[in-house]
Amino acid sequence: MSQKTADVLIIGGGVAGLSTALQLARRGKRVIVVERGQLGSGSTGRAAGLLGQLRGTAASTRMLMDGVETVRELEKETGEEIFVQTGSLRVAATPARTQEIVDLVGMGKAINFDIQHLSREEVNEKLPYMKTDDLLDACYCPTDGHLQPAELVASYVKWGRKLGVQYQTQNPVERILIEGGRAVGVQTASGPLYADAVVNAGGPWSYLIAEMAESVLPTAAIGHVYLTTRPDDAITIDRLSPGVRDRGNRIYSRPEAGGLIVGMYEAEPEQYTMENLPADFDMALMKAARDDIHVAMLIYCAQQRFPWIDERTPMTVTTGIMTFSPDGKAFCGAFPNLPGFFHCSGFSGHGIVQSPTIGVIMADLVSEGKTDYDLSEIEADRFFEQPGYLARDEIRNRCFEMAGNYYGRVEGKTASGKAS
Amino acid sequence: MKILVPTKRVPDTDQRITLREDGRGINDDQLPFVINPFDAIALEEAIRLRETGCDAEILIVGIGSADYEEQLRSGLAMGADRAILVHCEESLDPWNVARILQVLVLREGPDLVLMGKQAVDDDASQVGPFLAALLDWPQATFASKVELSEDAVRVDRETDQGIETIEVTRPAVITTDLRLNEPRYASLPSILKARKKPIEQLQLEALEITLEPRIKIIGLEAPSQSRTCRRVDSVEQLVEALVEVLP
Repeated sequence: MSQKTADVLIIGGGVAGLSTALQLARRGKRVIVVERGQLGSGSTGRAAGLLGQLRGTAASTRMLMDGVETVRELEKETGEEIFVQTGSLRVAATPARTQEIVDLVGMGKAINFDIQHLSREEVNEKLPYMKTDDLLDACYCPTDGHLQPAELVASYVKWGRKLGVQYQTQNPVERILIEGGRAVGVQTASGPLYADAVVNAGGPWSYLIAEMAESVLPTAAIGHVYLTTRPDDAITIDRLSPGVRDRGNRIYSRPEAGGLIVGMYEAEPEQYTMENLPADFDMALMKAARDDIHVAMLIYCAQQRFPWIDERTPMTVTTGIMTFSPDGKAFCGAFPNLPGFFHCSGFSGHGIVQSPTIGVIMADLVSEGKTDYDLSEIEADRFFEQPGYLARDEIRNRCFEMAGNYYGRVEGKTASGKAS
Repeated sequence: MKILVPTKRVPDTDQRITLREDGRGINDDQLPFVINPFDAIALEEAIRLRETGCDAEILIVGIGSADYEEQLRSGLAMGADRAILVHCEESLDPWNVARILQVLVLREGPDLVLMGKQAVDDDASQVGPFLAALLDWPQATFASKVELSEDAVRVDRETDQGIETIEVTRPAVITTDLRLNEPRYASLPSILKARKKPIEQLQLEALEITLEPRIKIIGLEAPSQSRTCRRVDSVEQLVEALVEVLP
């Protein structure tokens, strides 16, 4: 084998790669992160960071709850304030959505997760700036909140640097180096790097990185927009005002710097073909046109829950690209065809909040080959070489459908799967 | 009442801009284009004047290639009633832009021309004043507040010395400054409506203007990219560092 430059190479300096790098370094591994642009400049830098811990399954709920513990550790070590515990609300205005909440509360209580029903009056008290007269039910999770993406990145890097992680920015990967049927390194714009293992944490670009190793990673790049209103003396939005999920209107919200972030999971989001974007494409510079249909849709839906928002409201609009998988779950691990080449991608809009635990899982997999976490939902090879998951366009269609249904479908044990 | 809003299609200046090899232009084949932000402010102001009660028709004008339609459509979605695109492949200096606009103003007879104080690509800041002079109309530049009265316009002007309030008779040319307003995003219904609004296509020849170029770009130079960064640990150190570099 060629001269090693590190134990592990990580492609991608977003939260997935940075968290994995940190956790590997904590186990004494020498790690290099190679990033095409700046650290945190991709999807990470365009994320709202909402943290709702209660998910559809016990495994993913445990992952998120452990993540909060890891974040507390990060905060202690680096002095950054990452987690803002605002609590979170889900609201329902239709019978189907009400059942969703009843199921969720039942599920939460069963695993001792702090969750309770709230009356309309209680919701109104917590969120005076939100429309509540149409609500049939709501639930509140006081231990939820959001992670501040910039602070999260800063703390991963601060601690990682202390432990010797090297970060090579503006250094795009050109090829995966393979010897004897094993990934042994990467060819970057500034030369080759060799290691025992390579991790593909390329976010929306990760399917292209997989292609460099002749692997098919079934992810697709899906657009996402959220707005941030400017602080307005007429509408007080407390810093610790709870985050909201209103799946019926396809929106979520959280406080941000005196204003309100409202984002949307659309039925027909924008689709991106990463290979067609300019080589130096910078997600931070994406900008929506004044007549962008996705922005108009977002404003319309935001207005349904927050009637004081309209197209005249002073706001900034943030456009970004998310990495969706066909089932909305991440891919963590290697494919059978190429040992030493690990994937860590497909977070489907939840990369920020999953990253703390994903880093631990990836470090487990890379250094031990196994993990205590239940991997069944996020195993990298769950669609490997399966018909229907091979060609780019069929993968894209599946991911697009998943993204479009993301807030549309009704969840829970009694749900029929139809959108309300 | 009729308000004419001339616009310029400019590259989004937040993007990384690189110079062409001949040094006389920029590489714009992959750059996204937008309506000059100051012109978008002018359009927003026209829409707000209409919303606050004056029954105005709003006409936006663009001069350029067929690609301009996309930005004009944006303007129509924000709330303009119709658009004129003057087809012209050449790059024009401010004097000739003003002359073309003069012809359109004489044809359309607006009560008000509202336009950006400058375009963010060349920062020339000349077209508004030229146009007012050619028309022999009063002008109010750098507007940060615009109020209509019976037959005049009251304008707050942002000057280096502070705010100057003036009143100009109509018709007039008003150029808009940054703090006048914040342009809106288009609503769903207005995006749909805009698809049916007319964009009149005019050939430059049809305006019977002979271009008289007076300005030639000799060369462009990119701002220096080299920066010296130094980390300081306290406000005191920062103050010391600043004192060091201040002349």
